[in-house]
Amino acid sequence: MADHHHGDEKPGWADAKVFRNGFLAVLVIASLGAAAAGFLPAFQKEHPHFEVEGLGAFFAIYGFAAFAFIVLAGQHLRKLVARKEDYYEERE
Amino acid sequence: MAGDNGLLSALAMNPAVILTVGAVLGAFVPNGFAAIRRPLMLVFVAMSAFQLQRLGLGEYGALSIFGEPVTMLRIDPLSRIFAVVFHIAAALNLIYAWRSRDRAQDFATLAYPAAALGGVLAGDLVTLFVWWELAAMTSAFFVLGPGTRATFLAAMRYLTIQILSGVLLLAGIVLVYRETGSLAFGEIGLRDGAGAIKMSGLVMLLAFGIKAAFPLLHNWVQDSYPKADFAGTIVLSVFTTKLAVASLARAFPGTGELVYIGAVMTIFPIFFALIENDLKKVLCYSINNQIGFMVIGIGFGTAASMNGAVGYAFTNIIFESLLFMAVGAAIYRTGTSKATELGGLYRTMPVTMVFCIIGAMSISAFPGFAGFVTKGLIIDAAGEAHAFWIWLVLLFASAGVLEHAGIKIPYFTFFAHDSARRPKEAPPAMLIAMGISAFLCIAIGVYPEPLYALMPYPEALADYHPYAPYHVVEQLQLLLWAVLAFAVLILIKWYPAEVPSANLDTDWFYRVPGRDLFIWAVAAVRAIWRLVWRLASTRFMRAMDRIYAVHGPEGAMARSWPTGFMALATAVVLGLALFIAFIS
Repeated sequence: MADHHHGDEKPGWADAKVFRNGFLAVLVIASLGAAAAGFLPAFQKEHPHFEVEGLGAFFAIYGFAAFAFIVLAGQHLRKLVARKEDYYEERE
Repeated sequence: MAGDNGLLSALAMNPAVILTVGAVLGAFVPNGFAAIRRPLMLVFVAMSAFQLQRLGLGEYGALSIFGEPVTMLRIDPLSRIFAVVFHIAAALNLIYAWRSRDRAQDFATLAYPAAALGGVLAGDLVTLFVWWELAAMTSAFFVLGPGTRATFLAAMRYLTIQILSGVLLLAGIVLVYRETGSLAFGEIGLRDGAGAIKMSGLVMLLAFGIKAAFPLLHNWVQDSYPKADFAGTIVLSVFTTKLAVASLARAFPGTGELVYIGAVMTIFPIFFALIENDLKKVLCYSINNQIGFMVIGIGFGTAASMNGAVGYAFTNIIFESLLFMAVGAAIYRTGTSKATELGGLYRTMPVTMVFCIIGAMSISAFPGFAGFVTKGLIIDAAGEAHAFWIWLVLLFASAGVLEHAGIKIPYFTFFAHDSARRPKEAPPAMLIAMGISAFLCIAIGVYPEPLYALMPYPEALADYHPYAPYHVVEQLQLLLWAVLAFAVLILIKWYPAEVPSANLDTDWFYRVPGRDLFIWAVAAVRAIWRLVWRLASTRFMRAMDRIYAVHGPEGAMARSWPTGFMALATAVVLGLALFIAFIS
């Protein structure tokens, strides 16, 4: 079972600023690279099913917007359905 | 039945029966020798797999029940792909909890996959029904496992819903037989030739839909699966819903309604998963969402989309199990699956963390992983069908998968805020099971051809190239920018913190108002019964009193009569008889 750590423990590698900044930098570069590649003919579908597929960065914009919408709108679902943790235990 | 020899040989050759025998034999191993139970069962998995491979494609075990031909074992490309992945999952589940010494759970770890395997290999509806019910009963061992009042109640709810599905299946079988005069398990379809909905199709779709956890019928998954222990949940996550997917693929390919049902299934669990604090439940919502992708593929019903549906079921079983295994390892070491109580485990469970990230990247369908080479087939099918809105829904749902399964599971277990827990790394058996799953996730992602060859319509894959440059770029755009959105939301602190809560879902209807209504109905029936009994018994007692008054020891009829009175009475009766004879 869990062994709790002591106060003089060194911070883990994932908590180091170098790692966090490095991860963010790689993510931003890769994202921009993928978006840019979408505008190159070599990375475009020859016969797209839908017009939007030919817009270059459609998938990037849609992915960003969908994720943000899910998180920002979805959290309000709590107001409707969230109850105390022992909600059912009290009733059964 | 046909001759006993026919039945016996039909049973003996069935891989599902081999697994069942292994489960029963394992259950008889005395507790003093419990260490040999799982190795013994693993041998039976190997024997069953060997038998599956030895038999090859074909129909076996033809018998007749009351003059009706049945095929107990049908190995065709559709059933084979499920049978193969069920063997893989059964073996991995046995390895994962290698040190388990719980007789009932050990038995169910093999008997339940056996039942699901029997179901997918069933060539007729009666055989399907038998395995369908066995799957329900054997899986209940896991929900009952922890033995608390909460798990007992959940197991009863679970069994009620599973048996309801079985009863509907039985009714559907009767309707199908009346319609077709056959018990063969083939395409049923929802509509008849004139386009009207068939009752047989509707009942069968409902029976399968309960087990596939269609929207509004879905919540038994979140209610029961997380109640099992760390290993039981993993076994549960694989079989029942995939047996339903296999049955839907068999009976309802190209049923347009499934496209819309699947679309709803991919979307709504995303939001419930977002606000859920219990990571086991998050993964249960993920099951709903993932089955949605498969149901859409079946709904389109083209060769490519059917390949996508069953191929995705194959890979999903591996990567979803891997995620359940990683969370299970965290639970095994820390005793909790709550996001609010986990976090920071990467420090002491780095190997489990790496395996979890591989599972997360697979389910998110990053190029190079198993999800990418199969999910693309379903999304492509929406494109081929020019179903623009469904295509958008699938992309939206892909971003949702990334959110709850791709990021939330590894992030809140191994990173996020430091829970200050420093548990040991997962035990070797768990690491081996996770390692094999992770290897398969990457191997299938990098080299999907063997999986493609197993699919029901391999010829439809001739022109499909998952690593076409445009496909890779499209997917990377979608996923990387979604991860970017996550990073931005974390940086600006807009990503909602986890909150311990019980989130109401459709089970609320039967667990609170439904339960109250049931308790009220019981009280009402009892009150009515008491009233009826009181009324009846009062009248009865009064009648008895009257009879007693007349016939009792003190009653008029019990008096001793003088002889003269009797002579007089006889004369009166005779006189009356004479009078009646005279006037008639």
